[in-house]
Parts: sequence; C-alpha cells; structure tokens
Amino acid sequence: MLASGLNGITLRVNGRDHELAVAANVTLLEALRENLGLTGTKEGCGHGDCGACIVLMDGHAVNACLVLAVDASGRDIVTIEGLAEGGQLHPLQQAFLDKGAVQCGFCSSGMMLSAKALLDANPDADAELIRRELSGVLCRCGTYPRVIEAVLSVENGINRSGGEG
Amino acid sequence: MSVIGKSITRVDGVDRVTGRLQYAVDTVLPRMLHAAVVRSTKAHARIQRVDVSGARAMPGVHAVITGQDVPCLIGGMIADQPFLATDKVRFVGEPVVAVAAETELQAQMAADRVIVEYEDLPAVFDMEEALAPGAPLVHEQPSSYRRIAKCQAHDGSNLCHLHEFTTGAEGVERAFAQAERVFEDTFAVPAVSHTAMEPFAAVAVCNPVSGEYTIWAATDAPHRRLSEIAAALGIGSEKIRIIVTAMGGGFGGRGAAIAEMLAVALAKFTDGRPVKVVFSREEVLAASQTRVAAKLTVRTAVTTDGRILARAADMLWDNGAYTSKSPEVAARGGMTVVGPYRVPNISIRSRLVYTNKQPSGAFRGFGTTQTSYACEVHMERIAVELGLDPLEFRLKNGYVEGDSHFCGQRLTGVGLAESLKRAAASVGWGRQKPVVGPGKRYGRGIACMIKGTNTPTVSSCIVRLVADGRLHVLTSSVEIGAGQKTVMSQFAAEASGVTIESVRVSQPDTSVTPFDFGCTSSRSTFHMGNAIRLACEDMRARLFVTAASVFGLPAEGFDLTDSVLSHASGLTLGLREALKKMGARGFEFMGQGTYTPAGSPLLKRDPGNTADDSIFWLFVTHAAEVEVDMETGRVRVLHIAAAHDLGRAINPLNCIQQIEGSVVMGSSLALLEELKLDRGRVCNDSLLDYKISSSEDMPERIDPIIIESDNPEAPWGAKGVGEPAAAATAPAIANAVHAACGVWLRDMPFTPERVLAAIMAQATPEKTVDGHRSS
Ligand code: FES
Ligand code: FES
Repeated sequence: MLASGLNGITLRVNGRDHELAVAANVTLLEALRENLGLTGTKEGCGHGDCGACIVLMDGHAVNACLVLAVDASGRDIVTIEGLAEGGQLHPLQQAFLDKGAVQCGFCSSGMMLSAKALLDANPDADAELIRRELSGVLCRCGTYPRVIEAVLSVENGINRSGGEG
Repeated sequence: MSVIGKSITRVDGVDRVTGRLQYAVDTVLPRMLHAAVVRSTKAHARIQRVDVSGARAMPGVHAVITGQDVPCLIGGMIADQPFLATDKVRFVGEPVVAVAAETELQAQMAADRVIVEYEDLPAVFDMEEALAPGAPLVHEQPSSYRRIAKCQAHDGSNLCHLHEFTTGAEGVERAFAQAERVFEDTFAVPAVSHTAMEPFAAVAVCNPVSGEYTIWAATDAPHRRLSEIAAALGIGSEKIRIIVTAMGGGFGGRGAAIAEMLAVALAKFTDGRPVKVVFSREEVLAASQTRVAAKLTVRTAVTTDGRILARAADMLWDNGAYTSKSPEVAARGGMTVVGPYRVPNISIRSRLVYTNKQPSGAFRGFGTTQTSYACEVHMERIAVELGLDPLEFRLKNGYVEGDSHFCGQRLTGVGLAESLKRAAASVGWGRQKPVVGPGKRYGRGIACMIKGTNTPTVSSCIVRLVADGRLHVLTSSVEIGAGQKTVMSQFAAEASGVTIESVRVSQPDTSVTPFDFGCTSSRSTFHMGNAIRLACEDMRARLFVTAASVFGLPAEGFDLTDSVLSHASGLTLGLREALKKMGARGFEFMGQGTYTPAGSPLLKRDPGNTADDSIFWLFVTHAAEVEVDMETGRVRVLHIAAAHDLGRAINPLNCIQQIEGSVVMGSSLALLEELKLDRGRVCNDSLLDYKISSSEDMPERIDPIIIESDNPEAPWGAKGVGEPAAAATAPAIANAVHAACGVWLRDMPFTPERVLAAIMAQATPEKTVDGHRSS
C-alpha cells in the first residue's frame, strides 16, 4: 500500500504496462475506463448481470465490474481497443461488421471478447454452444442471431485458411 | 453504381467494433463534476423537511440542490414534472435532491447524508381505483400546467388525458344490437423497461455569464428536447445547444429529457463546471420511464361467416406520476386497436390515468405492443369460435390496396395480404402438426398489425459538396444504433451522385444541424430520406449551373454519377478535378432540403374525420411455432416468421437486423418481462431479476421476410421498419399457445406459472360464459 492509502498496481492492458495507484475498492472496469480512458469497455449494470464489461484476463472472459483492480495487477488484460492488431481488424471484428452483428454497439465489446475467449478454447464451437456460451452478454438490440452467424463464419474462415479444426 | 438495395456495411462500423465511439456515458470534459441523486422512498408524500447541510459539508462537494433551487416543470405535452420534487413526491424514485461533486463516489457519499422527512399521503396504484370518485389526487390542479392544446386538463380527477373516437355512435350501437355474434375480451399489459444497454446519461455545462447551456446527450430528438428544456427553464431556445453523442439503443426510451433534466438543474450551480449524470441500472429500471401499462377491453360484432361489423374498445393506460408522451400513445397508439381491418363502425375510448408510479412514455411501437396483442388474440378467438381458419378470417377482413382507412385516407402500398400469406407459409400453416415429445404440445399462431407514423412532421437537411469531392450531410437524424447513418449515406450518395465513400454524415448538434422531428415513429428513413433527396437535388442544380458557365456548356446536359461529372456533349471529369476547375479555394456547393408530408395528395381524407392519417402505413405479420410443456407451463418458441411490408429495403442487412432484433425483443416482452411493483416500488430493479432475453431465451429460429409495396412518396420506395416487429410477436405466440393447448392468454407476460394456471383452470370444467349472443 502506498502512503496515500492507495495501492500501487501494474495493469498490463493490451500488451502495455500501466503503473496505477488505486483504492482497494476500485474495480477493473473503473480502472480501465477512468484511469486509463479505455471507454470501449462498457458498464451496463455494475453487478455482473449484463456482460457489457467483459474483457479478457489471462485469456479468460471476465466481468470487469466484478474484478477488483488490485486483483488484476500483473495479469494480462485485453480490451476491445486491443483486439485489432497491426492496423487490421481482428477477424471477429470484421465478421461482426459483415454479418450485421453490431447495432448500437454497446454490448459489442463484451460480445466480441466473449466470442474470442470461446473460440480460443473451442475453435469449432457449433451454433448451440455459441448460443449458450454467449448468453452472459445481454443485447437489447437483439443481435444474437447475427452474432452466432458471425462467430461461425470466423470458424469457417480459420478452417479455410488451413488452421486446425 | 446504385447503392440502393445493397447491404452496405455500417459506415461508422470500424469505430463501432473497435470501441472508439463516444457514448453519452463516455463523455469526459475538463473540470467535469459527477452527480448523485437522492430519490423519493415514498410513493406519495408531502415533503416536510429537507436537510442538506450534512451533504454540503462533505469533501469534494460543489452543489447540493433541491426543488426550491430549480422551480421548473418539464414535459413535451403536459409540463407537470418538476426537475426535483418541491412540495410533494409522487412516485418511489422521484428525484428530490441532486449533488455535484468531484467524483461519483464523493457525490454518492454526500447524497447519503441528505435527510428528507415526509408525511405520507394516500397513494393510488390501480387505474380503476385512481378514477373512482374520492380517490387521492396525484396532481391537485392539472389545469395549472403548461400543455399542448389537444391535452385538456381534468381537474379534481386523476384522468390525465381522454381520447374518444367514433365513426358514429348510432351506427356502432345498431351494429352491436343486430350482429349475429358479439365477442368481448379484456387484456392486461404490464409496464416494462426499454432496457437500452446504455443507461441514461448526460453532461451539461452552463456559462455563468451568458447563461447558455451546452448539453451532451443520447437523445432521440435533439431539437425537440431543446424546446422542452428551454420551455421548462423559461429561457430562449437560442440559449441551449444539444450535442448528440453515440447511443446504446433507444427503443422509445430516449424520448424525454431524463438524465438531461438533472444535469441541467445542477449545471447552473457549479460555476461553469460541467456536470455529468449517469443513471445506475437500478435507476433506469425503477426511476426513469416505462412502457405504458394498459388494460384493454375489446368488443367486436361479426356475422357468423366472419365479416366484422363493429369494433368498440375501452382502454385504460397507466401514465404514472408524470406525463411524457403517453397522451399520444393512448390516443394515436390506441387507435391501432382496430387492427389492419376494414371495420365500418368503430368506437374507441382511451383514458390515460395518473397513478403514483414511475412515469411511462413512448416504447418501440408506440402503443402497438399493447393494442396489437389485444386486437390479435381477440381476433383469433373470434375465428376459432366461428370455426373459421384464423388466416382466412384475417385475409377476409384485412386491408387491401385502395381500401379506405377509417380516417378516410385511401391506403396506398398495402402489403398486408402478402405478409399474411408468406408468414403463414413459412411456419407450414394448415399442414399437419409435427410430433413432439411426451408432455408437450405443439401449436402454430399468427398475428398481423398496422402501424402508421406521426403525420405531418418535418425533417430538414443541408448538404455541402466540398473541394475534395466529399459530401457532408448535416442532419439531426440521430444514429440510435439501427444504422441510420449508413442509410442516410446511401440516400445521399444515390441522390447526389458521389460515391458512398465520399459521404460523411454529421453527428447532430442543434447549433449546426437543421431541424428534425426525431428518430421516432419509424420515420427517419422516410422523412430524412426525402429531405436528403431534396437537398441533393438542390446542390446538383447549383453545381450544374456553375459547371455550365465554367465549361461553356448548357446546364441541362450535366450529370454527376459515382463522383464523375459528365455532360451529354462528351465531357467527363473526375469530381475533384472538376471542382478544382470550378471555383477558388474554399468554394463549395450547398443544397438544402426540407420535407414534410403536409399537403401530400396521399393524405386526402374525409372532411371532419378526427382519426389520424399517416403518410405511410406499415403492415406486419408474424407467425409462430411453439411447444408448450404441459407439466411446467413453459412455452418454447421454436420459430417466428416475421413478414414486414417496409416499402423497399434500402439496406437489406439493416432491415434484417431490425426485424430479428425486434422479434427477440417481442418474444422477450411476451415471455419474460414485467416490472413487478409493491405499492409503487419496483421490486425487480436489477438485470438479474428483471430478465430480458439472452441468446438462450430467444426464439430458436427467426425468419425475417421482407415484403415490398409501392408508396409513391417514399424515398426510393422505403417506408420504415423500426417499430412494428416488437408488437406482432407476442400475439402470434399467444395464439400459437392456444392452438397448442387451448388456453387463451389475456395477460402478458406468458410466464410458466401463468400458462400452467391457465392449463389447470381449463382442465377443471368451468361454467361457460358463452351465452346465446355474447361471448
Ligand atoms: S457491467 Fe459488468 S456485467 Fe454489467
Ligand atoms: S448491439 Fe445494441 S445492445 Fe447489442
């Protein structure tokens, strides 16, 4: 703990380390949005009910509103801002656009990062599994059918380009 | 190359998928303060004492204000809502004190120190009780409120608004008296939350010298919000500027100054520092606005061979404590209870009632999620009891091209019959029922609806063709998430002749972008589409006149297509090059367009008729396949076929998004959603307890079917698509449940408990109310 009563932490976000001083009760969501200005991660409820705040922590999808920033210290965090690499959209981002899986977009970062965690663990998830695994992200615009199609299309893309699967 | 009818990818798509869009909740300004709100814990009480001294002494606090500090009343139709409660509170959750502090936490901690003492008053929650003589009055003197002419005050009563319509009382009476059969049903539709995923949020700053306000807001109609706020503050509209942010969905919920009102109230007291208000999810669910809960009684007179002779409806609509757009929902929305049918005799009474509950307002479909449910389940029962095929019964009475609407308007572009037939075919209508598992029953159901648009309203647009060949479209049509910017870009490219990549659609800013009535009533595509078309034609005319003099050719022969300027004489030039030749640096070509359907020949109707006409009518049919679990009452929606007559699809993928998305919402409303109240207090104020459809709850299969029809005034044929789907899904499901297991569902939502109770009640023989004439 620092003299200020705050905790010194190192947040590794999208491949970069950030030294932060945060109170013990600050959530990862607050640290990302307020301390780092990474507002692509959204708050839809603050209680773990909506999935808008989902980010990847060591490759797993977590609700950033339920994780304390101090507990995220030293872990590897990926937010929506870090999904595109080398000036190229991630295949999931491209597929979400092409298949119309984004409407207002407020749930989309949570949706895409959940989908990434799912695909990383399970590269040929079928529609049923996708539907079940993404059920933690609420989308009032009702993009679910498009999301499932988008995720499936990425899998097929991977298959076509000779990846395992 | 035409871009109409193409599924152009969202023009702001890259920002949308990379987390770069700035929503209202993301707004950050230098020296910005954060707000917290103390809300009423009482449904109806006199405020005895407010002690803010403890709050003022807390660290980081800049302003703590009460209703005395902002004696303002707001409301687009009836200005009955104080920014902060003054003498009394009228619903649990009403804002009483607002705090602005350096951080959200400091604001919240200060808010916790505020002491409010109340003296309880008797409260009313039930609409019928509220209308009974001697009921406690939610508002003592409604006539003292500023209001629009069509909203008459009813002092001494909780009646907020009365709307009546009849084609002729005598005719209606005679039709009912002489009819072979008369049917009557009463339906209840609960209050639900729009539940846009982005909570309400706004930032406001007030210049302490000029008194001018700038507001960053996620609102569906910035120019109208501006007038509402200006009127409430009693200042000129020139003193307010609204800058629209990206927004995380609307669904009608962004049709009032909900967070804006609180940000504006505080901004006056912070020495020019901006104040940000963000609602918690609990506040969104319990203390913002809901769909209007309704109780709808529908009566119909028919011949035994299924001809509709008369329809009477008596409807109660729950306004809650304050008035937003519900008078219009009860009035114009209420008229859709007649459905898309030829009915010669109509009598409608719609009463909007004040109660001590969270206010209600517009909700996707503007009354049709209530009326279409009532109309279509009622229609189904008539068909079943007359032994008619429900599809045939609807086709027999449904509007066809050239029919007269009951407002007297001749209907143009009626895709109803096709929508009925195609939706029915998609679910295998008339075919044998598939076999389902033990303890399960299968059923098919169908429901159709009609939805007009608020008419006449105005949209204006300015286009600027600038030196680098880009076309800037200045419009106040908001991108609410449905893809408006993309469709506007398609219109602008098509109408101007520049490539779609050259088009930039502005973010609305009331100090820059011209008036638009708003992103409501499924109107943006049609109205702004026409305004863009006019603006582009205007711009092209100017461009060609200048081109004629620069190139020494007659203006008539010029054309601009795909950003290439050409002339019949053979001249062909890239647009940028042409523009370079045509003017000094900074030279641009502008065009202006204002569209209103007022005066359109399509609106011709009977003189003296008081029903609303509409510049376009949307026709929709949903057909459902369900499986009912007879043990648990659980309804599984296997399939929804959603056929939408939307004129023409400008961007088919966007249309599919709208249709699928609203089917997901519609089935969510049908099966899951209801704000549960205990003496006015919302009990399920979290997304855990107020459940909306997740990917697992949605129908297992959704088939969007696009039906095209001709409306001569529609821009490139497009009518609209945003609202209707949310309305037709519930009755289709209810009717499918009846087909499966024989129970009528007259209360939404169709929870397992409710369905099971209906199944059990049916199993025990009940006395039949089917008299010789009335049933
Ligand atoms: S904000 Fe974290 S789950 Fe809703
Ligand atoms: S796209 Fe709007 S909430 Fe999912």
